[in-house]
Amino acid sequence: MMKKKYILRFSPEIVKKPLVSDLVRKFDVSVNILNADISSGRAGMLVVELEGTEEALERSVEDLLNDGVKCSPHVKALVFRQEECVACGSCTAVCFSGALQMNPESWELEFDQDSCIVCGLCVEACPLRLFTITREMES
Amino acid sequence: MSTRKTVEQINEKIKKGEAVVVTAEEISKMAMSMSPSEIVDTVDIVTTATFGPMCSSGAFVNFGHYSPPIRMEEITLNDVPVSGGLAAVDTYIGATSESHFDHQYGGAHVIEDLIAGKDIKIKARAKGTDCYPNKEVETIINKDSVNEFYLYNPRNAYQNYGVAVNTKHKTIYTYMGTLLPNIGNATYSTSGELSPLLNDPSFRTIGIGTRIFLGGTQGYVSWYGTQFNTMKPKNDFGIPTSNAGTIAVIGDAKEMSTEYIKAAYFEKYGVSIFIGIGIPIPILDEDIAKACMIRNEQIETQIIDYSEPDKPSLGVANYEQLRSGSIEINGKKVKTAPMSSLMKARKIAAELKSWIDRGEFYITQPVELFPKESTVKNLKQR
Repeated sequence: MMKKKYILRFSPEIVKKPLVSDLVRKFDVSVNILNADISSGRAGMLVVELEGTEEALERSVEDLLNDGVKCSPHVKALVFRQEECVACGSCTAVCFSGALQMNPESWELEFDQDSCIVCGLCVEACPLRLFTITREMES
Repeated sequence: MSTRKTVEQINEKIKKGEAVVVTAEEISKMAMSMSPSEIVDTVDIVTTATFGPMCSSGAFVNFGHYSPPIRMEEITLNDVPVSGGLAAVDTYIGATSESHFDHQYGGAHVIEDLIAGKDIKIKARAKGTDCYPNKEVETIINKDSVNEFYLYNPRNAYQNYGVAVNTKHKTIYTYMGTLLPNIGNATYSTSGELSPLLNDPSFRTIGIGTRIFLGGTQGYVSWYGTQFNTMKPKNDFGIPTSNAGTIAVIGDAKEMSTEYIKAAYFEKYGVSIFIGIGIPIPILDEDIAKACMIRNEQIETQIIDYSEPDKPSLGVANYEQLRSGSIEINGKKVKTAPMSSLMKARKIAAELKSWIDRGEFYITQPVELFPKESTVKNLKQR
């Protein structure tokens, strides 16, 4: 079993399709939706983490591409200049993924890259401007 | 309550290396098993500290005279406008003043850059007078080239501060950080039981002339801070439950460190500055001891709706709850986050303690105590 993050982009016509449940049914992968921007009549975007066998993930991606969904590995990442951090905690006010948390003992800021869904809210929330997001690569 | 120790006696102990110094967090723990009287017998000084954004801060600089001389009227430092109404070559850098070209760079950054020893571009203009004929100067300064460079902050170290929330349907950006809609989060900004003015709520030992830790060096309380308010309601433990007292502080910025003075930019609000302050409290009698024994669960503060212009209160929370990571507001569990660094505040309290332990820092009796009664007026349309 493995986990991979993807960005799915689709046209207004595909928005109506039950993409997520199709994947679950057809390939036995579990889908964790990390971020979503969908509304009817508009193009949609989903950030998902797929979990399944390597083959299942490959077939899922193939299937999505066949459906007309642009599917690219989620390579956007949050870059944090932690050595300059004063541990004020402002970023934790907007981080709901658990990636940025205050250690309840030392009150240092802890950053867990794996939990980060790259929502970007901390970029604006940090008064020292220590966060940046790497550019997204389209496949 | 009779005084059981004097400042002189404690300074004598510092000199001999015998003074017992603990931090305000340590004394709050000791308070669980000791009486105020035992604390007076055991402890001489409690160190308190805070490290948070304090907008009402700035620095005086004297550039030295130029040849031919100029009586500077319009001055910018790295394109940040600074005060031009102070004689010929004096200025005051207001921390929140913003650059003409980059709104995320301001007076706070100029101050931090100067402290770091960096070069700063100065541009000055004047009308020219008989004794100051020069009309324009553009050159480079740094902390070694100027005469004086000292911090003077009119309002720092607020005694308590409200928790900020947003009840509206849109995110708002404030000096209390990003406040998510529908009470999506709650931010708070004091160091609780470690906070200086919460450990001396009636200003018995902190007054004009008190020697303090300021930005990494010794500084002084120069006056009571602006918007000094003694009339705020207090809880059963003598703690004002909203922003009340403040202090004005002064210190030699040339000796300060960027570890304890840090420029900040709050999204869609503007520039501010983190200031590190530590204040020693001499344990002279049981009342002073009792005040320092205050614990986070006894320090309450108002929950303020920042989305309303008159900022109404939605309730009360204490610092133990705030630090737990969530509080309950209107029956809803809300994530809490600090805006001031407890980690840095602890470092300052420990640093101040080590200065006293090493005999490098002596405590002071205030030259004058703060006003007993003071309220805050609003600006009215007339």
